[in-house]
Amino acid sequence: MRCERGRRRQGAVCGAVLCAAVIAACGSGSGSHSGTGTSSGSQGAATSVGTPVNGGTLQAGMAADPDHLDPGLGYTNESWEIEEATNNGLLAYKRASGVTGAQIVPDLATAMPTVSDHGLTYTFHMRTGVRFSPPVNRAVEPSDIKFSIERLFRINSGGESFYTGIVGAAHYAKTRRGGISGIVADDRTHTIVFHLTKPDGTFPNYLAIPFSFALPKGTPNSDISTNSKWRVATGPYMISSYVPRQSITLVRNTNFHQWSSATPNGHLDKIDVTIGVTADQAVNEIADGQLEWYFEAVAPDRLAQIKAQYPSRLYTFNPEEVWFFTLNTRRPPFNNVLVRQAVNYATSRAALVKIFGGQGAASESIVPKGIGGYVSTDFYPYDPAKAKQLVARSHTKGMAVTVWGADFDPIPQAVQYMASVLDSLGYKASVKTLNAGVYYDTMAAEKTDPQISWNNWGEDFPDAEDFIDTQLNGENITNVGNNDMSNLDVPQINHAIDAARLMRVGPARTAAWERINTEISTKQAPMVVYMDSLLPKFVSPRLHGLVFNGTYYELLPEMWLSK
Amino acid sequence: MTVQAPDLPALNTRGLSSSGVGASGWRLAWRRLRRNRAAMTGGIIFLLILFCCFPGAPLWVHFAAHRGPEVQNLTGTIMAGGHRVPVVSAGGTPIGPGLRGQYLLGADSNGRDLFVRVLYGGRISLLVGIASSALCTILALLLAIPAGYRGGAVDRGVSGILDLIWSFPVYLLMVAISASLMVSGMNLGPIHLSSSSLLIPIVVIAVVMIPYVARPIRGEVLALREREFVEAAIAHGAGPLRVMMREILPNVMGTTLVMFTLIIANNILTLAGLSFLGVGVSLLTPEWGNIIQAGFSQIVTSPMQTIAPGVAILLTSVALNVFGDGLRDALDPHGSGRTGA
Amino acid sequence: MSGTAGVGPGSTPTPLRGRGGAWGAWTRRRRLAAGPRGRGVTALRFWTTRLAGLVAVLFALSVITFLIFNVIPGGNPALRMAGRHPTPQLIANISRDWGFDKPIWTQYLDMMNKLLISHNLISYQDQTAVLPAIGRGIPKTASLAIGAAVIWLFFGVLFGVLSGLNQGRWIDRIMTVLSMGGISVPIFWLGAILLYLLTFKFRSFFLFSWIPPGGYVPFGSSPLQWAEHLFLPWICLAVTSAGFYTRVVRNSLLEVQTADYVRTARAMGLSPTRVLLRHVLRTALIPVMSLFAMDFGAALGGTVILIEPVFGINGIGAYAEQAVLQLDLPPLMALTLYGGFFIVIMNTFADLLFRRLDPRINLD
Repeated sequence: MRCERGRRRQGAVCGAVLCAAVIAACGSGSGSHSGTGTSSGSQGAATSVGTPVNGGTLQAGMAADPDHLDPGLGYTNESWEIEEATNNGLLAYKRASGVTGAQIVPDLATAMPTVSDHGLTYTFHMRTGVRFSPPVNRAVEPSDIKFSIERLFRINSGGESFYTGIVGAAHYAKTRRGGISGIVADDRTHTIVFHLTKPDGTFPNYLAIPFSFALPKGTPNSDISTNSKWRVATGPYMISSYVPRQSITLVRNTNFHQWSSATPNGHLDKIDVTIGVTADQAVNEIADGQLEWYFEAVAPDRLAQIKAQYPSRLYTFNPEEVWFFTLNTRRPPFNNVLVRQAVNYATSRAALVKIFGGQGAASESIVPKGIGGYVSTDFYPYDPAKAKQLVARSHTKGMAVTVWGADFDPIPQAVQYMASVLDSLGYKASVKTLNAGVYYDTMAAEKTDPQISWNNWGEDFPDAEDFIDTQLNGENITNVGNNDMSNLDVPQINHAIDAARLMRVGPARTAAWERINTEISTKQAPMVVYMDSLLPKFVSPRLHGLVFNGTYYELLPEMWLSK
Repeated sequence: MTVQAPDLPALNTRGLSSSGVGASGWRLAWRRLRRNRAAMTGGIIFLLILFCCFPGAPLWVHFAAHRGPEVQNLTGTIMAGGHRVPVVSAGGTPIGPGLRGQYLLGADSNGRDLFVRVLYGGRISLLVGIASSALCTILALLLAIPAGYRGGAVDRGVSGILDLIWSFPVYLLMVAISASLMVSGMNLGPIHLSSSSLLIPIVVIAVVMIPYVARPIRGEVLALREREFVEAAIAHGAGPLRVMMREILPNVMGTTLVMFTLIIANNILTLAGLSFLGVGVSLLTPEWGNIIQAGFSQIVTSPMQTIAPGVAILLTSVALNVFGDGLRDALDPHGSGRTGA
Repeated sequence: MSGTAGVGPGSTPTPLRGRGGAWGAWTRRRRLAAGPRGRGVTALRFWTTRLAGLVAVLFALSVITFLIFNVIPGGNPALRMAGRHPTPQLIANISRDWGFDKPIWTQYLDMMNKLLISHNLISYQDQTAVLPAIGRGIPKTASLAIGAAVIWLFFGVLFGVLSGLNQGRWIDRIMTVLSMGGISVPIFWLGAILLYLLTFKFRSFFLFSWIPPGGYVPFGSSPLQWAEHLFLPWICLAVTSAGFYTRVVRNSLLEVQTADYVRTARAMGLSPTRVLLRHVLRTALIPVMSLFAMDFGAALGGTVILIEPVFGINGIGAYAEQAVLQLDLPPLMALTLYGGFFIVIMNTFADLLFRRLDPRINLD
């Protein structure tokens, strides 16, 4: 009865590294996107059936509380999905699916920023007339943006690391006094200027994610998820009530007036979210008509049944996410590349995809399909005999190996499968699963140092840098909260990655990432990538307007209910 | 899911010898037990289950299933109903039950033989159930006899400990300990426990059930110590230790035996509950509770994974409870102990 | 787990049963009351000792819980709060703000203070306030536990009486089978199977089509739906105790039927049923009442943890399950004390009932 709790976001920290090219629209035109974000095998999600109808209340379900409904703290798909509808920042990702959805467009800013000083200064003009919802009610000003970003450091937000590239931010993180000198907000002229310590082409992305969304000056230095006095909105919807572990209610923001086509009005009048609905329950209730939409994916074991019974109500989105097992290159037996390659040869991707109910495509590429850098080669075709030979050459047979995994379905089955693979190679495999809430930080703890662990990585930015640099660049290894969990540190590869990051977005950059992807996979094999996941959604027949954006997921303001 | 056995009073004094049940008493009890058809049935069923799980399981594997409990088979196929079908379908649904040697009850989501897993799972469940029961009974005796006999400070101390254990919300305590130990086991001085060691659930369940077993024994000791044969022993110069061992202990064996039998069922159920909460035995090793837990998510498409181990637990518990009930009746035929008072 | 040992903490567990059974004992009560051992204890002394005991137990519980989570390695709350991109500065700030760098006994006192005095205990996992969350869960768990308690008491006694009055006949046999089954079944499994069979497989059967597949509806919104949603959970939670009470009441009835005073009454011409219902039932129900008090405490304090996740009821049990698996100490501390409190209170109550109702007990 356990289902995956809102997947924690994994994303790249691109700041503080030289990036000469100014990338205005990160990821646009990068590589061959294959129409991602639309449904496959069922009616198109991006184009609605008929004309949208305004009004109605959507009955939605959620497995567990979103981590926070405070834009400064929320870091799960669920919270970002809601915050996209309620709050706004200077910039936003275009509210569309697929390639278009990767473009950055102005939101509270009147236009894209003026970049000067060789990429060190970003100047924005802000709109006037945008107001916070009741009870704050007043107009949004540039100083609110400055306040919101500074607040991240005061509340120990997990997102503060995106903004440490701003002048004065590191100092502010330590002292938490005096504000961030590198953000200059002028309420009279409605401008806001950011000074960076180093040029960083990815900077506009950080102003399009909810961490930087505007909150009114004076918002307390604590979680405002349940604080209705300060939990205000600037977007088409606002949260009228949030009872933790019970319900969330979204209603139209009375102070919202559409200021550009980029920020739509929203069709639904109200969204009622019930918290605590398990995946199985959701399938039953949506089939029944009690529920109309569920935040999480379809329960894996029901997928086949729903595909057969309700094909027109099943949408399959591509969240640009890969699922894999991380091999720790610092711990035996995986410190031997022969062993890592052996495990890759011995793992049947088809078997793993079966475990996940066919909820994805078998893949060996660390960069998902649809992002430049994806390589479709089968690096390690299933060959148990060859795998055993490699193990024999490594002289590591018989070692004890522990496979770690989270405890939501069907991860335990997947880790047990991996244990059987290791057993077949002659190792003594055991399995440990942990609750999803503690899994990730336990894996990242130095004490644990797992030999092999299940993992997944979804895009924050539609660029291979997000996948390769954060996880496989040895220069990013830290003692705490390390995202390079395979501890891969090959100087040649590090340099190649650094060089690729500097390149301007285009075919050359894509080719460079593809080369790096191939090199890492064939020569180093630090992971056993097995699946490019898909996000299947089962919805009510009355629900239309499902637009899937890679960053914000389904766009609530686009949804509408037919009569 | 628990068994509540009432306290047993001192066995009826009429007509019994000074050393409690005595040789003739045990034989009498056995005869009474034999006449209780329900209890004998329960006992035989329990023995049958033991047989199936211990010597029976490898026999079945050897002759029929050809596949051990941990052998996965995600990509294989078998002949079923004349066709060759995949053991686990492309959508992740395992094959269902059928009249055949392999996969008699179908497969689980990793392609393992469910029937074989249930058989081997019984080993762990029964082992942990019996071992924790034994440990609990021993510890309870060690606490209850001195407490009941000596009274005073000893009694107050022991009662305090029992109260404390009893007041702890049981599952929270067990899950807290198990979850904490899950990550890295325990290294306390000379004690090294790997996190998958079976000792952890055995000890945890045993400790948590001590008050349940200790109270009735203590009650009986309290009654026994007033009896003439005890006074006689003391008058003969026997020290407290000797009295406890020679006079008291043999006389509480009846109660102890009944409690031991009855809590085996309870402990098996508790272990299953722990597995349901995710902190039981490791996933690769089958155990009735964790087979149920793994099957929960597929209950709609593959219900046998949940049904089979649950029925196994139910059958074992009923057999043990009926037998234990009969045992209690046999040792205390005048029924003064059946009211739970 | 609604396990009981038939008695409350600290009391004399076994009444002395000699000749004469209940009748004889009743007449002896007066003599006992006068004797040195039966002087009885004053109400004040009784309650003060109990209160002191309660505080001591709760204190010990809190210390044990705290130690389990701090001494046995189980996770780093600062790292958890810092998320997937922690910087060393962030982790240092969190440790400082939350006091994780302070000595262990300071942290303990701090937590106790937040829990009991300033009421602003916050969870490590998602930084929500713990006490309001528990407050919101209480109505659901209480609905579940109280409803089940009423059911198990009623049916346990009813079936026990039916069984006892008809010993050996088919109704007795059926009741015995059912009660044995009830005692032996794993309740979380029963819940899942019932859900599967009644709300999925045989959904269309008219008898079952109204049963919802889980969830909770507050009584205020719709009493009918509230009851519909709780129907299966009630059954699952009640089945063990109902089975047990059936056995207890049945055996009690059987025992008393052969007692001297019953034979006397019958010899005097009173109808057997009248005799049973008037004299016997009262004695037979004594153990049931004290068992009931303890079972209820244990249900509220613990067994709900198995039922609520199965049925998707977001009460205290579900909260406890989540908190303990996530090694989230603040809610766990609060829930442990809450659970322990209830168990001790109900055990005390049971003890009280037991002593008052059963005159054969020596009052300590």
